[in-house]
Amino acid sequence: MDNIWETLGRIYENGVFIYGTILLVTYALLAIFSMISVRAYAKRDNADQLNTLLSSPLAPGITVLAPAFNEGLTIIFNVRSLLTLNYPRYEIIIINDGSTDNSLEQMIEEFQLVAVDFAYNAKIQTKPIRKIYKSSNPAYAKLMVIDKVNGKSKADAVNAGINAAAYPHFVCTDVDCILDKNTLLELIKPVMQEEKKRVIATGATLRIANSCEFDQGVMTRMRPPRQILPRFQEVEYIRAFVLGKMGWTLLNCVPNVSGGLGLFDKEIAIRSGGYDHSSFGEDMELMTRMCRYSHDNKIDYAIRYIPKTLCWTEAPVTVKIFNRQRTRWARGLAQLMYAHFGMFFNPRYGRMGMIIFPYNFFFELLAPIIEFTGIIYYIVMTIFGLINWPTALILLLFVYTYSVMITTIAILWDQLSFKYYKTWKEVAFLCTTPFMEFFLYHPLIVVFALRGYWYFLTGKKSTWGNMQRRGFQQTPKPAATAAAAK
Amino acid sequence: MEFSFYEFRYAPLSIQIAGIFIVVAIVCTFLAYFSILVGRYKAYRQSERLKKLHPIIDEQLMEHIFLNEELASDVPADQVQLPLESFQQPVFEKKWARQALIDRLIHYRNNVRGSMGEQLRNLYIQLELDKDSLKKMKSRKWERKVQALAEMSNMNMSIADVTILPLTNSNNRELRAAARHAYIKLSKNEPFKFFDVVTEPLLLWDQVELFKIISTTEHIAIPNFAQWITYSSNKSIVSFCLKLVVHYNQLSAVPAVIRLLDTKDHYVRADAINCLGKMKVEDVEEKLVHMYNSQPLNCRLEILKALGRISSGKYVDFLRQEFLHATDFEVRKHAAKSLINNKWAAKGLIQELIDTATSENKLILKHSMNPLIKF
Repeated sequence: MDNIWETLGRIYENGVFIYGTILLVTYALLAIFSMISVRAYAKRDNADQLNTLLSSPLAPGITVLAPAFNEGLTIIFNVRSLLTLNYPRYEIIIINDGSTDNSLEQMIEEFQLVAVDFAYNAKIQTKPIRKIYKSSNPAYAKLMVIDKVNGKSKADAVNAGINAAAYPHFVCTDVDCILDKNTLLELIKPVMQEEKKRVIATGATLRIANSCEFDQGVMTRMRPPRQILPRFQEVEYIRAFVLGKMGWTLLNCVPNVSGGLGLFDKEIAIRSGGYDHSSFGEDMELMTRMCRYSHDNKIDYAIRYIPKTLCWTEAPVTVKIFNRQRTRWARGLAQLMYAHFGMFFNPRYGRMGMIIFPYNFFFELLAPIIEFTGIIYYIVMTIFGLINWPTALILLLFVYTYSVMITTIAILWDQLSFKYYKTWKEVAFLCTTPFMEFFLYHPLIVVFALRGYWYFLTGKKSTWGNMQRRGFQQTPKPAATAAAAK
Repeated sequence: MEFSFYEFRYAPLSIQIAGIFIVVAIVCTFLAYFSILVGRYKAYRQSERLKKLHPIIDEQLMEHIFLNEELASDVPADQVQLPLESFQQPVFEKKWARQALIDRLIHYRNNVRGSMGEQLRNLYIQLELDKDSLKKMKSRKWERKVQALAEMSNMNMSIADVTILPLTNSNNRELRAAARHAYIKLSKNEPFKFFDVVTEPLLLWDQVELFKIISTTEHIAIPNFAQWITYSSNKSIVSFCLKLVVHYNQLSAVPAVIRLLDTKDHYVRADAINCLGKMKVEDVEEKLVHMYNSQPLNCRLEILKALGRISSGKYVDFLRQEFLHATDFEVRKHAAKSLINNKWAAKGLIQELIDTATSENKLILKHSMNPLIKF
């Protein structure tokens, strides 16, 4: 009996060792690939190019889709932010997904909206549309608001927007996100510059807005978040976008374009069936389906990422809300793997089937499970006194220093290309975060991911949920500041 | 619990590797910190240097160029004496400062016209800054070449065709684009010659950049684009020329565009129909209506749009028929929009359609008639 346990233990240890080694090598490769991609991007980046596109009558049209559910606190501020975008041909569609607050009334009053007879063609099925509004004020001619019955998912709302979109590309964002004024110019560039492939989606780096300063919906000063939980997320976003996504883009293996900001080819998105309203990870699910559709129809496609930060989103500040968000993400990932398991190691789907899907399965889906079983194994071994402590501590130190190094390298790539933070103290402040991430933040992610898997397995009912926004910090106006000082 | 170096030497290989990697990770982390610090310091130092240098350059330019009374008089720009010694300060012997001077000259030259612009160019030549640009042109790095091409085209410095033409077909997208722009701006004889030699497709981005260069360059001889529409085997060149034909309203190219209606490539055909519609070529309406039923959807939509743009009023019955009987939603929508565009000839018809149409068709009509909805 002892022998069996010993053999099983050895198999487990060796398995985890191989798993860990592959994961670490993958991260090292991603660090190298991302460096190549980020440097190539920085070399080609040229502000004059944006000005050329901005004044061009040949610029392709883009529809900006922003679903809103009970965003009354910030809705006006956020729509104003979208209206300041620089682009020669675009429209903004806000989809009021059956809000129960006064979001719609606020927009009607602020933007002088009137109901119009819009020929809405439901290419993708959604919950019914109540009314469609356009502004009677020419200053807001780009704005359209769709009021629809709540579909209990972001996907249903965005699908309604896709149906009403006039242009061949759409940018999907969350209404609470703040976009850089050049977002559309930057996102369409890879589509227009691609030589041989059809770019079906483009994404850009997202950052945390919590401690940044904004003025009338425009980001005026970027800062790393002061609170610890959002700061962990800032570091995580830098690692995921600047290192991860930029590494994958070199291989044309981007696994996902974030729901916070992404530009998509409307035709492919519609032909793929649009967003899946039953999915908890609708952004990744759509991307997978678009890739699948492209493979099935022999479309030589590409998905591109750019390292520039173009979007700031409000991160959860409390563990409760953070838990809700990550549980939903994990559940979405499990759903996706289950729904598209036929692509797993399927050469018919090229890199998607042979690289992206296996990577997501082994190193995204299984990682929390393996980590959790590893901790259990550790505890059991400790109880039975079978741990070789010096060896264990060396391995722990190795993983710790390696994770700190990878995150620091991601911050380095970001800093070498784009110096977003004004002072070196802010960068130094951010650089201290990876040291705590391992002990404080990572365990939370593992627990919430396992919770998400559990919900997936048990089929627990839940919705996409309200993130309980606090609203963005405004730059204090001099007069107001003076008055306050008095 | 003690773990000495001696024990480490005899530890399992995995532990030894882990130990080595711990050291590597710590060193790399500190190197990353150091690089961040150095990078920020360099950027800070550069911005401080430029902060000091820009006022010096601006002061000299202000005194000797912008407020130069001789330039305001009738004296030709090339005969005005430039006080070169003012710009020959020790700081301008440094490479970064010369580059800053070039950038500043280009910046001002893009914002002034006439003799002042010419004088900025003279200054660029007399300070031998053109040699700096030429040196960059010979660099093996593509980004230096691009920089040189941009500087020389902004300063209107001629470059030999043999140097620049091969670059218009370079494998590097940025270099290729910069060379094409420079060629159009600088070539004295045939600025569009590279249309004949270009082998790769013109990307949409290239078209945007070329369009801007062509439409904003002064004293450029605009050729008849029909020659490429007729003879080019590069579809992207044909498509781009169609856009230029519309932009310059080049009626002499219309026969060549009409001939394109018989091309086998339906994307090019759709572009040709689009071009004819935007140019409001009334004579072509009959042919468009005649060919309509044999066309794929993209060409059909373009034909409907063209009938709306031309708005001759001759084909309202055809549009009505498509609006009432087509099964495709987009076709009905475009037919309705074109009917509305022809409303001067179809007022009664539109009212009749509103009164008798199905609820969906009525909605499409109202949509098309609403001035708040553009598409």
